[in-house]
Amino acid sequence: MTKKIIHITINNKKLDAHPGQTILQAAREHGIYIPSLCAMEHLASYGACRLCVVEVDGLRGFPTSCTTPVEEGMVIRTDTMEVRGLRQEVLKLLLSEHPASCLFCGEKEECKQYMGTIRKVGVITGCRYCPNDLRCELQQIAENIGLTETSYPVYYKNFPVEKYDPFYDRDYNLCILCGRCVRVCSNVRLNGTLSFKQRGRLTTIGPAFDRSHIEAGCEFCGACVTACPTGALSTKVSKWYGRPDTQIGSTCNYCAMGCKLLLQTTKTEVIDALPDYSSPVEHGIICVKGRFGITEYVHSPLRYGVPREMTPIGYNDISWEEAIEKAASKLTGLKPDECLFVVSPQLLNEDLFAAQKFIRQIKGSEEIASSFIFDLDDDAISYINLISDSEPIETIEKAQGVIAIGFDSTYGYSAIGVNVKKAVQSGACLLCINSFESNLDMLSEASFVMDTSKWADMLDLIIGFMSKDKIEKRLAGSVKTFGKDIDSACKVFLRSPDNVLIVGPGVIEAQNRDRVLGGIERLKNEFSWRIVVACPYTNLKGMLAMGAYPCFKPGDTIRQHEADKTVELRGENAHIDLKKKRKLIYLIGDTSFDILPDCDYLIYQNALPVKSSRAPDLILPVSLFTESSGTIINIEGRVLQVKEAVAPYMDSKPDWWILKRIAEKIGRPGMKFNNVGSIQGEIKKIIKGFPAVKRRVEFKRIALKGTVKKHGQGMPAAWKSSYRGVLLGDVVSGIKVIESKRMFSVQERATRAPLIEWRAI
Amino acid sequence: MNKLKKKISEAKRKWEKIEDNKEPIIYVGAASCGRAAGALELIDETDRFIQENNVSARLIQVGCIGPCYLEPLVDIKMPGQPRVSYSNVNIGLLSKILKSHLIEGTPFSKAAIGNFSNDTFMDIPPFFELPMLKPQMRIVLRNCGLIDPEDIDHYLAKDGYQGLMNALQTSPEDVIGVVRQSGIRGRGGAGFPTFKKWTVCRNTPGEQKYLICNADEGDPGAFMNRSLIESDAHAVLEGMMIAGYAIGASKGIIYIRAEYPLAIERLKKAINQMKEYGLLGKNILGSRFSFDVSIKEGAGAFVCGEETALIASIEGKRGAPRSRPPFPAISGLFGCPTIINNVETLGTLPNILRNGADWYSRIGKEGNRGTKTFSLVGKIRRTGLIEVQLGTTLREIIFDIGGGVQKPFKAIQTGGPSGGCLSEEFLDLAVDYESLASAGSIMGSGGLIIMDEDTCVVDVAKYFLDFTQKESCGKCIPCRVGTRHMVEILDRITHGEGVPEDLLTLRTLGDTIKKGALCGLGQTAPNPVLTTLRYFRNEYLEHIRDGRCRAIVCKDLIEYRVIKEKCTGCQSCVRVCPTGAISGPRSEPHNLDVTKCIKCRSCYEICRFEAIAGDAIIIRTAEKRS
Repeated sequence: MTKKIIHITINNKKLDAHPGQTILQAAREHGIYIPSLCAMEHLASYGACRLCVVEVDGLRGFPTSCTTPVEEGMVIRTDTMEVRGLRQEVLKLLLSEHPASCLFCGEKEECKQYMGTIRKVGVITGCRYCPNDLRCELQQIAENIGLTETSYPVYYKNFPVEKYDPFYDRDYNLCILCGRCVRVCSNVRLNGTLSFKQRGRLTTIGPAFDRSHIEAGCEFCGACVTACPTGALSTKVSKWYGRPDTQIGSTCNYCAMGCKLLLQTTKTEVIDALPDYSSPVEHGIICVKGRFGITEYVHSPLRYGVPREMTPIGYNDISWEEAIEKAASKLTGLKPDECLFVVSPQLLNEDLFAAQKFIRQIKGSEEIASSFIFDLDDDAISYINLISDSEPIETIEKAQGVIAIGFDSTYGYSAIGVNVKKAVQSGACLLCINSFESNLDMLSEASFVMDTSKWADMLDLIIGFMSKDKIEKRLAGSVKTFGKDIDSACKVFLRSPDNVLIVGPGVIEAQNRDRVLGGIERLKNEFSWRIVVACPYTNLKGMLAMGAYPCFKPGDTIRQHEADKTVELRGENAHIDLKKKRKLIYLIGDTSFDILPDCDYLIYQNALPVKSSRAPDLILPVSLFTESSGTIINIEGRVLQVKEAVAPYMDSKPDWWILKRIAEKIGRPGMKFNNVGSIQGEIKKIIKGFPAVKRRVEFKRIALKGTVKKHGQGMPAAWKSSYRGVLLGDVVSGIKVIESKRMFSVQERATRAPLIEWRAI
Repeated sequence: MNKLKKKISEAKRKWEKIEDNKEPIIYVGAASCGRAAGALELIDETDRFIQENNVSARLIQVGCIGPCYLEPLVDIKMPGQPRVSYSNVNIGLLSKILKSHLIEGTPFSKAAIGNFSNDTFMDIPPFFELPMLKPQMRIVLRNCGLIDPEDIDHYLAKDGYQGLMNALQTSPEDVIGVVRQSGIRGRGGAGFPTFKKWTVCRNTPGEQKYLICNADEGDPGAFMNRSLIESDAHAVLEGMMIAGYAIGASKGIIYIRAEYPLAIERLKKAINQMKEYGLLGKNILGSRFSFDVSIKEGAGAFVCGEETALIASIEGKRGAPRSRPPFPAISGLFGCPTIINNVETLGTLPNILRNGADWYSRIGKEGNRGTKTFSLVGKIRRTGLIEVQLGTTLREIIFDIGGGVQKPFKAIQTGGPSGGCLSEEFLDLAVDYESLASAGSIMGSGGLIIMDEDTCVVDVAKYFLDFTQKESCGKCIPCRVGTRHMVEILDRITHGEGVPEDLLTLRTLGDTIKKGALCGLGQTAPNPVLTTLRYFRNEYLEHIRDGRCRAIVCKDLIEYRVIKEKCTGCQSCVRVCPTGAISGPRSEPHNLDVTKCIKCRSCYEICRFEAIAGDAIIIRTAEKRS
């Protein structure tokens, strides 16, 4: 299939272009430089900065190349004296409003070399005039155009820097009004927090009606910060680091979405995490946690750097030999029920594989606990069966009926939220069920904010409609209870060929959870609703695939071929005994201190401490996902790569390395891996082509025989994001702020104008 | 169609009763211009007079007939007599007029300005032979001031909706052909041949098309569109329907600025009447044409008169223009093919479709067919709303129609903030799109501002540029920042702080903005400055080099003085001076302290009009040096 070619001439050179391209795109494809500030990939052309002007035969004046589509036979000149003169004048005007010390200051070289300031006390800081120095697109253009002087008087705006919202600062003195932030927020993120205010020389950017960003519904996704060509929007933690040394593509580990992150690093630190708009998983639509929550977590001053041992007078730093010796000695000779191992569902596949091998060899039983099992309790298998059928995120866009239960995409699961918004824009009918007002409510046909105990009834009602049974009677009854909107929504669901149910994290902490999950199952199985689960357990699918789960060995739950549909589980075998006192408890990335039984010796393998009444006896420092290589399996079943961006902190080690050494010390021969590659080689036996897996990993349905006994101990806090058991809000200051403000009052919601105009006049 | 024909004959019979009235009819010009002059009070007073004197008379509120300097206009038509028009009527004069003409049956000739027959009546000349009216050719304004704009029957009686009926008998392509042959060009300012835009829209596939009437009229001082809508809303609506039929639109939207409440009210009433008469809705007059009209009010932005900004405003977005391509005729409102026409363009269409393209193409001159309305304001004897053939010279407009200037003529500003100031040498320039453009100005929507020696051209340029800068949407750099710099420079010059380099800087900035701006607002914003620099360079140089404002306007360059020899010490000025700058005892020449003087003109005016001396205070500026 050949694409049609359009023949154009740029600067007397004959070139090929494609239909639908603008002159700017065609020029860039052929390496011809045309400066531009307001044009950006993935954004519709805007034509505001006027720097990309060119001369085109047949068009009068100086059209902007970013808005002019190519046509057969077009003759374009990008470099005539007039065009260059016009660009220089426009740039001069721009700079008369934009503080540009970076271009004019005579001290720059010295400041850069000696990093001194002019204060009396010798403080090493370097130039603090603008956070975007050396990364700034405006600076680059001034250099490329060759501007050397300007005589226009300066009209700097004297705005105070806006610093009172979390994550990023706003210095509108540096804003050149290119509109990229407004456009990306409205058209790509479908959020609409930012808009232009006032007009003429008073034009500025911000939320309408002078609201704060949090009030206005900002998701702090940082799309605007990524888009900003100047230093007007800058990330708080990294604004003064200057140009990063490298950029490494990796995967976020904070939830099961598995969004791609481009980690920007200096030699020793991850300073920023940018979206990749070409990622097939989320298409660059990432949330605040991955965008802004990485640096402060992985470089927290609270991180463990060396192994520590509890002594009568406090903790003692020890060497790895000593630590491993200690652990091995404590583990030797224990009976299966004398020790308990708890694994985090957020570990990498390789670490989980090593962990289950370790536990099965050392402990010798199937009692592999995890925070997932504690949270979901006797509903764990139902939940697993739901995620097995979770469909690709992209498919939400095409749905015509959507139900979102227990879901809110303000501070997480952005790609799901944006896809629901796109579906609604195309005419889909949305019904929201939640215990607080979610950000999708205003797009919904009907939204129900109610206590979780009623959710099951609600689902039963919808199932009743879907069964097309006694509709009129049900309508009458339901309208009395729930209002008129529910019947219009259900009528759409009945007609729609494609319905999607978004299962949000709220379901995890719902009362009558078994009925809720059962209702969702029924909608899926009996009425062909597709399911997308917004799952907070990052690598839950990996945990199952790697067999880090009671009674499932590696590969047991993976569907190898079409006919392979179910696997059985005896309920009583999946129970973890939390009442029996143990001799040793080993936490691998888990922090469930408060619900665990008493024990004589507690080993804690993690990166950060948590507040608890129990102090671990042995602390083993772990290197985090930004410092390791490995993989996770996201909610869609994709195998996603995690790449090492910086060296491990101090003496921390990957989970698998620690477990291998301990196993060796104990004398168990089975863990023969020397590096991640060898573990992946073993995993290859259960997943074809691992780690470069092209197709999604599919899972069998778990047929539960009998029931799982309740543990009754878990207190799931589904809305407080955590990683490896540590609350993000405790480590990343901004997250604490936004999580406390998540639930808007009814009045605040009512005064917000609709964010998406999808009804025509 | 037959139902409407019936209504038309009824309407004509109703009109007969007016032409051949059995009881007196009193007309009051009550469009916004009349109201501003006090027409509403006159209406109340007339009602009261009729009640008190137990006379039977009918009162009709009419629109603007043109000569606004004569407002308030009150006309009386006695049975068997032609309608007589009285000008500049106040309450006192009104009672005299009503007593004499209404009660006693004799026109009050002293205050009568004209009569509406073709001959002189009792020494009162025919209204349309008056020097201001005679050179005009009133086509668009034909009904203004003659009919009650709130009664559709009056419009029907004057062959209203005949043009639409003619159009519906032919095909939309034929209608476009008629418009092409007539040669009419867009009257909003650009002068683009109307049929061309329509053809593009007609040929663009699309189920839903829109016809938008641009009634934003943002130019300061322009009121042509307002007057037309207030005086004859149906003309515009009929034009919208003709245009809608031609392009295949089923929805018409009138985008009208919120600052025109009376016009909006009249439109709403007119639309309701149309619905009653079956002129809106599905299958109008039995044809396959369905059309609905809605009104969208603006929110106070001049830039929303620009096509694409107007569309964005209707869509609920920020009123900022966007680049073209794509053109609205292909992809406009909500992505559908859209035509935006000016009020006057639409108001002309019924006449073309009623009288034929040939008739219209014989008016005006080659390439500039037809007539154009202008608002004639400023330092001219006869201000108001006029309509002349294109090709009429500026001299004819200013001196024949406008009655000339009192003080020596200096300049005429055409086209509002997008236009330019033309000096005396251009008085014989023909008013048409090309001639004005070649002189550096534009036709624009039709504002004509006459300036005499008391107008400071630099001040005028600053005023227009200040307006444009405040109204700039802020999207593109050249307009947002460039106009700001130009305003600051002009500000300095008018405060006596200009430097010679400023003139070159103004030229460079003007050039950059014209070449670089995204939309018409920016591209034409420097015109007032560039034309005044071209034709009145001396005034700029005087401001900069000599610190002199020859029009005695720029406050920092003028000084007030008392001529001791002439001052009789009557204290008139002392009483009105707000800062106590003038002082002095009775019967002795007063003193003026320049450090306290804020140049408010109070003393100057008082001395001229009320004091004994009459010319004891003068305002001076620096002498011309070279």
